[in-house]
Amino acid sequence: MIPEIIRTVAGAFFGTLGFGLLVRAPKRSWIPASLLGAFTFAVYWGLTQLGLSDAGSIFAASLTGSLLGLFCALKMKMIGTVFLMLSIISFVPGLGLYRTMQYLGAGETAPGADQGIRAMITIAMIALGQGTGSFLFRAFRPGGRKSRKPAAINKN
Amino acid sequence: MTLEEQRACMRPLQLAGLIIMENGGETFRVEETVTRMGRAFGLEEVETFSVPSGLFISYRMSDGNVETSVKRVRRSGNHLVRVDRVNAVSREMERTGMTPAEAAARLEEIRLLPNRRSLLPIGAAVCAAGFALLFGGSWPDLLAAFLLAGLVEGICMLLDKFHMQALVAVLLGSILTVLVPAVLKSFLPVLSTESVIAGALMPLLPGLTMTTAVQDTMRGDIVSGLSHGIEAILTAGLVAGGALIANAVFRVLTGGGLL
Repeated sequence: MIPEIIRTVAGAFFGTLGFGLLVRAPKRSWIPASLLGAFTFAVYWGLTQLGLSDAGSIFAASLTGSLLGLFCALKMKMIGTVFLMLSIISFVPGLGLYRTMQYLGAGETAPGADQGIRAMITIAMIALGQGTGSFLFRAFRPGGRKSRKPAAINKN
Repeated sequence: MTLEEQRACMRPLQLAGLIIMENGGETFRVEETVTRMGRAFGLEEVETFSVPSGLFISYRMSDGNVETSVKRVRRSGNHLVRVDRVNAVSREMERTGMTPAEAAARLEEIRLLPNRRSLLPIGAAVCAAGFALLFGGSWPDLLAAFLLAGLVEGICMLLDKFHMQALVAVLLGSILTVLVPAVLKSFLPVLSTESVIAGALMPLLPGLTMTTAVQDTMRGDIVSGLSHGIEAILTAGLVAGGALIANAVFRVLTGGGLL
């Protein structure tokens, strides 16, 4: 039996890597973004193991992923989208949305509503975590904010 | 800048916005990039408004007239390399300056970057195997999810070649993703259909689209948020519908359900 932590981290790593290929992320981001995805999921998993609620763990993991993702983007001079998107992919509730529709399609309204609400809470926590992370990163950006003045425009 | 040169600035602005939108960039990024490029050209009152299916750009020229462009956007999937390159060009323009013709040429190059579609089945396969592992699958489950997701993505690409709607591909993909493991289970009892199905469905599921919808809405992009939200619900509905169809087919074939 594979120990759960290794299985979890490896699963998140390969899940993120595969998704990176699917969205055709720049090649040099594949490994760092996958490591970030695995780390973010490990944070979520670790916090739930410590007894924190699912929603709280997802918020904390998204916040961590967002801060680290934006830092990676800044250091690697890439768009933040690549890292922000891939840092959360292992806990976006695609399966939850699918199960919601599946229950509702089968006429089972109560479990469908339950799954739907759980999925929406997860999504809200991810959005909130990433939003907070982006705000904090802009506010305390490493190296400070650089003012950007347009360069001398046209060459003619 | 002469009026003619000012008019020529519209082409690179349109190209930048279109490339970002068509390749999976966010609406706020389009607006930010196009506005930044417009200012770098020295244009005044640059305004950009983008929704997932359209792009509107305007700026005031030195004669007081407003140059406006409206473009229909047709998304062609995610290609973040292109989005990243456009962003790099806009930053370079800001730092060093660039003529409209130079910028347009650079952006045309980016638009023509190879699609690398061969990577998609590999990506789907790796993604599915990873998630099957995350959902507690064993080695045979991982292998089954890997092969199945790769096959389904290959079929989706084939359908796309015949100009089938992406949603039809999602429906067919989900039917196959649910039906094939159930049939395989008859020959390989060691297989855990739930892990295989859950893993192989992940590349088709709209979790990220729904998250983008909520993020857009929180940012104040209501139209974009609604549009992404509806897309996500429709996709989730189709995936679930496909699973229900597969279940019905399996029941007819074997007399027992799988869900």
